Amino acid sequence: MEKKGARREAILEILHDRGGLREGVSKEVHQETGVPEADIYGVGTFYHLLSDPDAGVRVCQGLSCKLADSDGLKARFDAEGKKSCFTACLGRCDMAPAFWDPDDEPPLVECALSPSSDAHAIDLAAADGTGYEALARATERGPDWVIDELEASGLTGRGGAGFPAHIKWRAVRNQAETERYVVLNADEGEPGTFKDREVILRRPHLVVEGLAIAAFALEAREIYVYVRGEFGRVKRELAAAIERARELGVLDDSVAWHLVDGHGAYICGEETALLEALEGRRGMPRMKPPFPVEKGFRGKPTLIQNVESIACVPAILNRGGTWFQEAGRTQPGSKLYCMSGHVVRPGVYEAPMGVTMAELLEMAGGVVGTLKAFSPGGASSGFLPADQIDVAMDFAALPKVGSMLGSAGVVVLNDTVDMVEAALNQAVFFEDESCGQCAPCRIGTQILRQMLERYLASGRDASTLEIVDDVSWGMCEASICGLGQAAALPLTSAMKHFPREFGVGTG
Amino acid sequence: MSDFVIIDGNEISFEPGETLLQAAKRAEIEIPTLCWDPRLEPAGACRMCLVEIEGSRLMQPACSYKAAANQVVRTQTSRVQRNREFILSLHLADTIQDRDVMEDNNPSRIHELAEVYGTAGDWTPVAKQRVGRPNDVNKFISFRPDRCILCSLCTRYCDQVEAVSAITLAGRGAHTTISTADERSLTDTTCELCGGCVDVCPTGAMTEKAAVEYGKPERELEKVRTTCNFCGVGCQIDLNIDTEANRIVKVTSPPPGTTVNDGNLCVKGRFANDFVHHEDRLTTPLVREPGGGLREATWDEALDRVVKGLQAASARHGKDSLAFISSSRCTGEENYLMQKLARAGFGTHNIHQCAAT
Repeated sequence: MEKKGARREAILEILHDRGGLREGVSKEVHQETGVPEADIYGVGTFYHLLSDPDAGVRVCQGLSCKLADSDGLKARFDAEGKKSCFTACLGRCDMAPAFWDPDDEPPLVECALSPSSDAHAIDLAAADGTGYEALARATERGPDWVIDELEASGLTGRGGAGFPAHIKWRAVRNQAETERYVVLNADEGEPGTFKDREVILRRPHLVVEGLAIAAFALEAREIYVYVRGEFGRVKRELAAAIERARELGVLDDSVAWHLVDGHGAYICGEETALLEALEGRRGMPRMKPPFPVEKGFRGKPTLIQNVESIACVPAILNRGGTWFQEAGRTQPGSKLYCMSGHVVRPGVYEAPMGVTMAELLEMAGGVVGTLKAFSPGGASSGFLPADQIDVAMDFAALPKVGSMLGSAGVVVLNDTVDMVEAALNQAVFFEDESCGQCAPCRIGTQILRQMLERYLASGRDASTLEIVDDVSWGMCEASICGLGQAAALPLTSAMKHFPREFGVGTG
Repeated sequence: MSDFVIIDGNEISFEPGETLLQAAKRAEIEIPTLCWDPRLEPAGACRMCLVEIEGSRLMQPACSYKAAANQVVRTQTSRVQRNREFILSLHLADTIQDRDVMEDNNPSRIHELAEVYGTAGDWTPVAKQRVGRPNDVNKFISFRPDRCILCSLCTRYCDQVEAVSAITLAGRGAHTTISTADERSLTDTTCELCGGCVDVCPTGAMTEKAAVEYGKPERELEKVRTTCNFCGVGCQIDLNIDTEANRIVKVTSPPPGTTVNDGNLCVKGRFANDFVHHEDRLTTPLVREPGGGLREATWDEALDRVVKGLQAASARHGKDSLAFISSSRCTGEENYLMQKLARAGFGTHNIHQCAAT
């Protein structure tokens, strides 16, 4: 049990500054913060950038990078005698095969974008203005107007859950507790997703303005931004934009801004795991209810939004909620879609919500080879076959065909891809990134991966897969958070649409 | 007007803040758990206690979900039952399916529950990735990762009840295990060797080294309830006796909520029992021979010798040449008698108790 006044929130940053969790470091950090030594060790070992500081260059084994021969890249590093290890998706799918060197961050090359257009809410290709007109309008018309416009816009969370933003904003605003927080989830990690990276790199002022509006509307005095640890440049760009806005006099000192580093854990993109990380704990999702709008950061009402969601707010206030609502085709708004894998021009494309896969493929210059399957929204959305390219890519139509929009990280697979290998790649990802807290996810992800390996090792003996239904049912029903609930979908969807590759039926 | 939660059709009143599990327990509705303990904050991690709640898409853990007025809860549906079978099959695949091997010492709650609720089948064992601490040199507690279900009862107990925080969940995902800082021996940490981790462990992953070495499973031992005599608190302990050999194999604590110590023990009560069968243990009084040697005597003879000696010293050097010190193992009543002996019997106020300073 930690002493009263122990500085728990500081421990991750201190561990980072000490160069990670080497022997004896937990004792030093214990002496400095008053948090029990074992706790510090337990927290440090949770985050892979801290637990293994000497792992060298991280080579991405996300699906898009695997398709682009990340195994070959790793072998080249091995041949050069450069220390390296595989890691989960680095959010650089447009540069596949991607790698990241903690000591020498590789530059981001210019990512393909949709051309600038008046129809886009974010418009990545446009110049990032520093007018902050929406913030001025918000302060003039008041918090209720802001939230009413959000409601009229129909904006839903762009991180993957698609929850209506105005409900969260209003819920925080209506809390009797006046100590409130705004948290930006910039822990982008869903395999195939790199839109939040581009939003912050290209339109950082949209993000800063959206956050300032949220803090104003919710009367929050502190904003926390949690940035994925591998996104050093992204964090620096955002810090520079905040500084610039201060110089311009747009931001005053009534709100404190905190930029916090992630330390390598996909699960911290789950909002309550993110809060645990901010509080200096192992990033294990919390039981809900209570939800963060009621008891969030430090147990106080907290608004947590994804980067893309918050970046939509200025356009909504400038052009009206109705405009945003009408900018979508099947659901409100324009939407960023990340295209990677077997496409000609991997990149981030903004399109009306509900655009079809066929249209997205055209924007990205078409398929390299012949389309076989695609993953519409990151690993968690599973796979759909080529004949589903006319389904609306939104939060309603994709669930009807057994998938989901998720983070709209679209991975395109051509007919050279073995769906068993693709499913195994996703199974490895979920096993590596499960937090380990609940049994269905921790054990279920191991069973799925080991089962697929047995299937391949046995020369594709279908009997090795016979408990897939039972295991995936339980993972989906009984896991605490979305990671475990979705982790079986890549395998079950691949089996459903490509049964012959899994030794069943004739499909 | 009281509020009721409706569990399996029964209207059950509840206190604000109570969980579904607490309400169900009062109504004697059985909901199986693996990671719950009344002394600890619920973890909701084992997912064994999931129940259906009307209006909730997902099943919810009864151990942490708060009861609400007119909430309709179902604990006996086919979905709830299927989940219980699923969870038990998972844990069996991830630990040791053979009950005799699993229960070499401590009983296994997953096997007990599997007997009651059934399983979804015997699944291929998981190739486990948890590590233990093979170099931990402490003499009492052993952690066996192949049996661990990561319920975190041990780490929560160490933190929330003992406030010692010697052990922690470490690593992530499949590699999650129980560890100390830098995987050191328990004796090189804040651990007080209370053994509470062994007691709360539902699978024998945390276990007592000597008892495992003795080689007889707990279910073959007879539990004899007695009072610990290491101090005056009066903790109730269960001696686990091998009746064939007439030996104490280990000491366990009665379940929480049943005795004054609420399931807790200290290092002495739990582990310091090897003196009972030790060859050097005195079993009769000894008195000193004129030549200096010791010989066996009766209590009457030995006590007479003590009284005579004390009286002689008092007569020669005065009453305050004597001082009486009682042991920290004595109860309040025994301490009272000791001061009575000093003051009334020998006329001195020189009386002390070793735990008083």
